[in-house]
Amino acid sequence: MMRFLAKRVMQGVVVLFVLETVTFFLVRVLPGNPFMGDRKLPDEVLAQLNSLYGLDASSFVQYARYWKAILVEGDFGPSLVREGVQVSEIIGSAFPVSLALGSVAMLLAVVLGIPAGMLAAHYRNRWPDALFMLLAVAGICIPSFVIAPVLGITLGAHVPGLSVAGWDNPLCIVLPALALGAVNAAYVARLTRGGMVETLSSDFIRTARAKGAGTGRILWLHALRSGLLPAVSYLGPAFAALITGSFVVETCFQVPGMGLHFVNATTDRDYFLIQGLVLCYGVLIVAANLIVDVVLAWMNPRLRA
Amino acid sequence: MDEPTITCMSKVNYIAGKSLWQDALQRLLRNRAAMFALVFLLFMAAACFLLPLFSFIPNPNLTDLDHIAVGSSADHLLGTDHLGRDMLARVLYGGRISLLVGVAATSVAFVLGLVYGLISGYVGGRTDAVMMRFVDVLFALPFIVLVIVFSLSIEEPCRELTERVVDATGWSREAVAPILGLMPLFLAIGALGWLTLARIVRTQTLVIREQEYVQAARSLGLGHFSILFRHIAPNLLGTVIIYTTLAVPGIMLTESTLSFIGLGVKAPNSSWGTLIKEGADRMEVAPELLIYPSLFFCLTLLALNFLGDGLRDALDPKDVRD
Repeated sequence: MMRFLAKRVMQGVVVLFVLETVTFFLVRVLPGNPFMGDRKLPDEVLAQLNSLYGLDASSFVQYARYWKAILVEGDFGPSLVREGVQVSEIIGSAFPVSLALGSVAMLLAVVLGIPAGMLAAHYRNRWPDALFMLLAVAGICIPSFVIAPVLGITLGAHVPGLSVAGWDNPLCIVLPALALGAVNAAYVARLTRGGMVETLSSDFIRTARAKGAGTGRILWLHALRSGLLPAVSYLGPAFAALITGSFVVETCFQVPGMGLHFVNATTDRDYFLIQGLVLCYGVLIVAANLIVDVVLAWMNPRLRA
Repeated sequence: MDEPTITCMSKVNYIAGKSLWQDALQRLLRNRAAMFALVFLLFMAAACFLLPLFSFIPNPNLTDLDHIAVGSSADHLLGTDHLGRDMLARVLYGGRISLLVGVAATSVAFVLGLVYGLISGYVGGRTDAVMMRFVDVLFALPFIVLVIVFSLSIEEPCRELTERVVDATGWSREAVAPILGLMPLFLAIGALGWLTLARIVRTQTLVIREQEYVQAARSLGLGHFSILFRHIAPNLLGTVIIYTTLAVPGIMLTESTLSFIGLGVKAPNSSWGTLIKEGADRMEVAPELLIYPSLFFCLTLLALNFLGDGLRDALDPKDVRD
C-alpha cells in the first residue's frame, strides 16, 4: 500500500509539473496581452509595465523565474490586471467561498443521488426506477443556467429568508448549492443504479437472500459496498471541480467564488492568476483521484494491485 | 460424403442467421423511448432547418418596437421578445446554430478521438504511454480555461480562412461569415471533447490488436493502415457510436454554456444558449422569453439522451444502464 501510494504521488507531481508547464506556454502564445484594457497604452508605458512584471525577458527565463518564486519563496506572483493584488490573496479569498458552496452541493448530490439510485436499482424496471431515472436524465439535461434563474424566481422569491444574490448570510448558500447539486445528484443516481443493478444480480447477493437476509440489510450492507464503486470514481474528480467553483452558478447568484476568476483571468490574459488557478485546480484533481483510488482499493480488495 | 447426416440436418428447423447490426437494429426499433426520441429529433431538425424557408416564419432579426414582449398571437405564435422580434423564428434559427455546432463539434471530436486512440492503442509501448499522459494532462486542465484559450487563439486563423474562401470562391462574405465565424467555437469544443473517446478507443484497440484475426491479417502481409481501418476500426464502431451519441448532449451543453457566458455564439447569430441568456436577464418581466428556448433546448437534450441510451442497449445488450 505504501509503495502504491508513493508511486501515485510521484506520478501526480509529474502531471502537475507538466500541467503547469503547458499552461505557462499556452497562455503566452495567446494573442493579446494583460494590459490591453479599454484604451490602448502608449508603447513606452507598455514596455515599462512589461519590464516591471518581468515579461520582457524570454519565455524560458520567465519560466525559470516563475518556478523559483514558487518553490523557494512560495510566491505565486502578482495579478497583472488588478494592480497591487497578489494571486495568493485572490485565491485565498475566493477559495473558501467555493469550498463551502461546493461541499454543500456535493453533500446534496450524495444524499439525494445515492438513495435514488439504490431505490431505482431495487425496483428495477418498475415505476420508481422509471421515475427516478427520468428525474436523473432531466437533471443532466436541464443546464444549470436554466435551473439557477428558475430557482431564483420560484424558491428565492417566495421562501422568506432565502436570498437570490450575494454572499452575506449563511442562507445565501442554499439556492446556488441546489443549482450545483442537482446535476451531480443526477449523475450519482445513474451511476449508483448501474453499479447496484450489476451487484444485485451477482451470486453473493443471491446467497444472502437464500440465507434470509432482509431487503434493507442486503441493500445497505451487502450490495452498497461494491455497487457504489462507479459513483465513487465519479465523485472524486467531481468534488474537485465543484470546490473550484462554477462560473455560471456564481454569476447567476453573484457569489464571489473561484469560477469567476477562471473565466476572467483567461479572457484578461492575467498570466500569473491563470497559472495559480490551474495549479490549484490541478492539485485538487490529482489529490481527488488519488483519494478515489485508495477508497476504491479499500472497498474492493480485487483492485489492490 | 456422409449422405444421411445431410438429410438429418435438413430436417432441423433452421433459424436464419442475423448479423450483429440487424440484431441491434431490431432491438432499437423495439425500444419505444428511443424511437420516440429519434422521431422527435428528426422533427426538431426539420423544423429548425426547413420551416424558416417558408415565408410565414419572419426574419428573426426584424424588430417591431410596437409589439414588444407580447404573448402569442396569430402573427407571432410564440409572441415576441424585448425588441419585438418573433420568438418562434428566433428559437428556430437558434436551434439551427445549436444543432449545427453540436453535430460539427461532435464530428471533430469523433475523428480526433478515433484516430488518436487507434494509433495510441495500436502502436503501444512508449508512444502509447506518452500519448496517454498527454491526454491526462489535458484532462487535468480546467475545461473552461482550455476552451477559452483555444477559441481565442484560433479566432484569427479562422478569420483569415474566411477571407481566403471569399477570395477564392467569390461567394459573398455575408453568406460565408456566419458559418465560418462559428468555426473557432466548434473546433474548440470538438478538440476538447475527444479525450474520453480517445481513452475508450485505445483500451478497445489494445484488446482487438491481440485477436487472432488481426494476427492472421498481419501474417498475410497487410500494412498497418489496412489493419487499422479494415480490421480494427470496424470492430470498435459499436462502442464509438454509443459514446458519440451520448457525447452530443454534453457538447451542445458546452456550446450553450459558453454562449450563455458570452464566449460562444456572437451576435447577430444566436443559439439556444444566447436566447436562454437573454431570457434569464428578463425573466421577472417576461418569463416566456426564458421558457420557450429552455423548453426546446432541454427537450432536444432529453431526446438525444434517450436515443443514446437506446443505442447502447441495442448494440451492447449485456451492458447495464449507468
